[in-house]
Formats: sequence, structure tokens, C-alpha cells
Amino acid sequence: MEVLDKLLNVALLVATLRTTAPILLVGLGGSFTTKAGIFNIGLEGQMLVGAFFAVLGSIWSGSAFVGVLCGVAAALVFALVFALLVVTFRANEVVVGLALNILAGGMTISLMKAVFGTRGSIVGHGIVGLPKVQIPWARELLGSWAPLVSGYTPLVYVAFFAVPLLVLFYRRTRLGLYIRVVGEKPEAAEALGISIARIRYVASLLCGLLAGLAGAHLSLGYITMFTENMSSGRGFMAVAILIFSNGDPLRVLGGCLLFGFADAFSLRLQTFGFPSYLILAVPYAVALVALFALSYRSRPRIIRETLESMRKLLSVEPGRADADNTPST
Amino acid sequence: MSDRLRAVYGQLLAVLFALAIGAIIILMVDESPVKVFMTLLRGAFGDQAKIAGTLLQTTPILICGVAACIGLRGGMFNVGIEGQLFLGGFAAAWVGFALPLPAGVHMLVGLAVATLAGAAWVAIPAFFRARYNTNEVVSTILSNYVAVLLTSYFTIFLFKRPGGWSETPPILPTAYLPELFSFSRLNWGLVIGLVLALSVAWFFRYTSKGYSISMVGSAPKFAEYGGVNVKRQGFLVLLVSGAVGGLAGGVETLGVHHRFMEGFAPGFGFDGLIAALLANGSPIGTIVTALFFGALRSGSLLLEVETTASREIITVIQALIILSVSAQVLMKRRGDSTAGERRWKF
Repeated sequence: MEVLDKLLNVALLVATLRTTAPILLVGLGGSFTTKAGIFNIGLEGQMLVGAFFAVLGSIWSGSAFVGVLCGVAAALVFALVFALLVVTFRANEVVVGLALNILAGGMTISLMKAVFGTRGSIVGHGIVGLPKVQIPWARELLGSWAPLVSGYTPLVYVAFFAVPLLVLFYRRTRLGLYIRVVGEKPEAAEALGISIARIRYVASLLCGLLAGLAGAHLSLGYITMFTENMSSGRGFMAVAILIFSNGDPLRVLGGCLLFGFADAFSLRLQTFGFPSYLILAVPYAVALVALFALSYRSRPRIIRETLESMRKLLSVEPGRADADNTPST
Repeated sequence: MSDRLRAVYGQLLAVLFALAIGAIIILMVDESPVKVFMTLLRGAFGDQAKIAGTLLQTTPILICGVAACIGLRGGMFNVGIEGQLFLGGFAAAWVGFALPLPAGVHMLVGLAVATLAGAAWVAIPAFFRARYNTNEVVSTILSNYVAVLLTSYFTIFLFKRPGGWSETPPILPTAYLPELFSFSRLNWGLVIGLVLALSVAWFFRYTSKGYSISMVGSAPKFAEYGGVNVKRQGFLVLLVSGAVGGLAGGVETLGVHHRFMEGFAPGFGFDGLIAALLANGSPIGTIVTALFFGALRSGSLLLEVETTASREIITVIQALIILSVSAQVLMKRRGDSTAGERRWKF
């Protein structure tokens, strides 16, 4: 029991929320592109340049906020290039995404060498990290549970508040609806006079914005440093989550919490003397298992949906054609 | 034939364009592009030993490139070649130090086990891709991370050389891939790679099985209509691609390092994939592009010594090449309707 107590306690929950935040931010970013019908494997690279330029901006200006802005700007540039190639030039999404990831890796290392003359990591140099937000009255009201809601860096709150905002965005706003229509039925969008290209650009840039925040959180959040390839596959895990969540914000949250928990739990296992290499592999393995398990589960749904759309095709009702754009799930 | 010439010409233009952008980036990191490119060239082809060094780097890229070609032609993105390479490399090392066998046989068994390890590592993603349409790009990328950590675990916790630093015991000399020349570690792996590329090219060009695989890659519905078992074939394509990726690891272990160590061949899997993409999925073309990337890698070693630029600048150049190729290949198709399928041209 004592072991269990040591493993499962408030600190673990707090650690889970903390490790969930970056992957949740990047996952929600990817939700925009997923909903708009773009398979965005370039999240990893956008996050990485976000992390690097956040550190650079923070050192240069002495302000964490400016650092975050720089990180976001860099990620937006990558998102713009992605959209340019994928939307305008109709290049293959996978190829462009992978190439941008490779570019991000090589570029950050080269720039690190050029600016700091070092390899491996940037530590110190006057990097200003994000402050921790103390919620007033939290300690008085919640006692030992207070760390659960108070004392995180701002981007953690941004990540979790973004979830309901995104739900509303997709349900209640015109842009949200357009993004969904473009993703689910591009033909219908075209017929309605929606510019598919413009919507996909917007979705891609919104994605870059959140991916940049995720990167900034990595390098200015709980640790204030940049290391080579520090996004370490979180972007890819986010893509896995996006595949089985279909980009729905609530399901993205669920998937991200699972990974946050796997991450936090495995770090804790490390203190019990499990070999670190196996522990480090746990989140990736969880992502793989979830991907496989959920694709197995979604099989009947695919068949059902195919049948449904076949039926709809056979009984065409021209006037109602665009009422079918809301997802059936 | 003129079509193919035009394709090569377009590819060359894209490479030049990428090099131009690369030059601008090099200027931005305060180096002279001319100096960087000349150093790369000298580092790659400066003398006999350097040329052999370039070919040594080309070997794993070529084999990984062939692995990627097999997948791409069959409509499968095997992004997990890196992981298959690591698993294959470790498996070959294990055979090399743990199973004493007669010379020659030992080496062949090592390569065979490496091949099997690569295929086994991709088997689960391949199965789910074929059966349930699970995106193979994501599953193979994620499995790379697991593969690298798993082999590190094997190396450091289970088979560490006593007194050594994160490496396995050396393999027995009976398992060595023989070297080609006395002045370099260049070995028969290069020949294996060339033979492999040529035979895969022959397979796709002259056999009906190869034709049906290409057909699934370029027009899956047509292939299915024509009676091809698309799922089964997709599974096999990924499996063979993974097997070749594992072979690349075996060749690297038995030919170059003679042991498995942490991070023994970083990035070769991705370089192979990029080489295959640049060659538009052609194994013969991959020989040329692998040589190009091998030269870049080999040249970058001198770059690190003689200039302030980091050797990762070549990664930047490679990525830029792929980006500009991806844009130019599809430039011609800009007028298509949005409903059209977006896919790499093969």
C-alpha cells in the first residue's frame, strides 16, 4: 500500500497536468488542420522551432513574454511554408511535413552552433522562464489539493482553457463550421462558395500558433533550456491522438491526459529503479498501443459510415445536401 | 525517354534551388557559402581515402533508400527504417558475438537475422495498416523511438561489454563483412547495396508481381478491380521494406563498427527515405541520390573541422531539397481540381 501511496498522490496528478500541457497545446493545434482535412505530420518541427526561438527571444529581450511571441512567430513561419506547399502547390502532406521536421532539427542545431558556439543544449545565458501563476485563495480553500489548480505556468492554463473554447469554436462560429465543412466535404464547401485554400491556410496558421505555444512551454515552462530535438516525438504522439480522436477537442484532451499520465507515471517509476531506457519508451509504446487498439475499434464505424454515405448518395435530396456536414459521431 | 530526361532535369533544378536557399542560410550563420561548399566537396572527394569514406557513408543510405523505394512504390510510407536499422544492427551484433559459427556462414547468418529483425519490427504496424488501415506513417515513426530506446536498453543493461561504454562486446572476426580495400573500412556492404538496388529495379520493371505492387501504389482501386489482394500485398510490401531496413543495420554492424553501440548509425534511415523521395522511388535513381547524400555526410565531417558551421547544415540542405522537389513535382498539376488526390508522383 505504501508503494501505491508513493505512486499515486496529488503530486502525480499535478505532474500529469504539467506533462499534459505541451502535448495538449500541440494536439489542439493539430485539431485545426485535422478538421480542415490536412494530415499534419509537421507538428513536431513547428514545436521544435517554437521552443528554440522562444529561448532565443527570451535571452535577447530579457522577457519571457517576448520569448513566447518569438517562438510563436517561428512556428507560424513553418506553418505558412507548410500551407504554401501543401495547399497552394498541392505537394504531398507527408513529404512536406517530414521535410519540415528534418529542417527544424537541422536548423535549430546549426543556429545553436552559430549563435552560442555550443552543441547539445543552451542553458543559462540569462534565459527568462515563464512565471508561475498563484491563484488567490487556492491554499485557503483547497488545502493540500491547492497545487492541483494553482502554481502552474500560464501556458498550462491556456492549454486547458483552450479545450472548451475549441468546442465552442467548432460548434458555434462560422469559421469553425467552415473548417469542418472543408475537411469533411470539400465538394460541399466548394459548392457553397467557401474558399477551400483560404480556410486551409487559416487552419494551418491557427495550428502553428498553438504548436508555437507548445514549444515555448517546453523551453520556457518548467525547465528553462533548449536541447537538441527537445520535442522528442511529442508532435508525433499528438498526431497519433489526432488520428484516433478525429480532432475533436474533448477526445484530444482525453488522449493527451492519457499520455500526460503515462509520462508522469513512468518518470515516477524511474525512482523505483526501473531501467531508464525502458521507462523512456513507455509514452511511445502507449501511443502505439492506443493507435492500434482504437483503429481496431473504429473498424465497424468506418463500415457503418461508408454504408450511410452510400445510402445518402443513392437517395440524393439536392436541397438538403449541405445539412449533412455535421459529424455523425 | 524525353519524359524521364525532363524529370531528371526538374529534379536537378530543384536541387540547385535548394542549394541557393542553403547558401542564404549559410550566410545567415556567418559563414561563406563558397567556403562551405568547397569544404564539403573536398571532404567528400578530396583524395582516395575520402572517396572511400564517401562510399562508406553511401552504403547504409543506399540500402535504406532501397527499403524506402520498395515501400513507396507499393504506396506505403515506411518512415520506420531508422528503427528497423537499429534493430537489425543489434540483431547482427548479437549473432556476431554470441553465436560462434564458421567463417562466412557466420556473416550470412548475421545478415539473415538482421533482415528478420527488421521485418519483425515492422510486422505489427504493417499488420494494422493492411487490416485496419492504421496510418503507417505515425505508427512507424513512433516505433522508431521505441526501437532506439530498446536497443540502448539491450546494449547497456543486458549485453554491455565489461569495462566498455554503452557498447556490446565486439563481434567475432568470422562475422566480419570483408573489406574491399586495405586503406579504408569500405566493405562488401556497398556491393550488397548496389546488387540490391539493381535487382529491385529489375523486379519492378520485369516481373508481374513488381508491376502489381506499383499498380497498388499508384492506383489502388484499379489494382483491386484487376484482382490484386491489396491488403495482403500492402502487408508484404511493408514487411519486405522493413527487412531491407534491417539488412542495412546488419551491414553497418558487420561491415563498419564490428559491435553495436548506442546511436551507431543516426539518421541513415531518414537519409535513405529522402534519397528515395528525391529519386522518385526509383532504385537506380536512389544509387545516385544516395551517393549525393553520402558525399554530403562525408564532407560534413571536414566541415565541422575547418569552418565554424555545424555539420547539421547538410540536414538543412537535404530538407530544402525535398521541399523544393515536392513543390516542383506538383507545380505542373496546379490546375487540378481540389477534389483530386494529392500524392507523391511515382
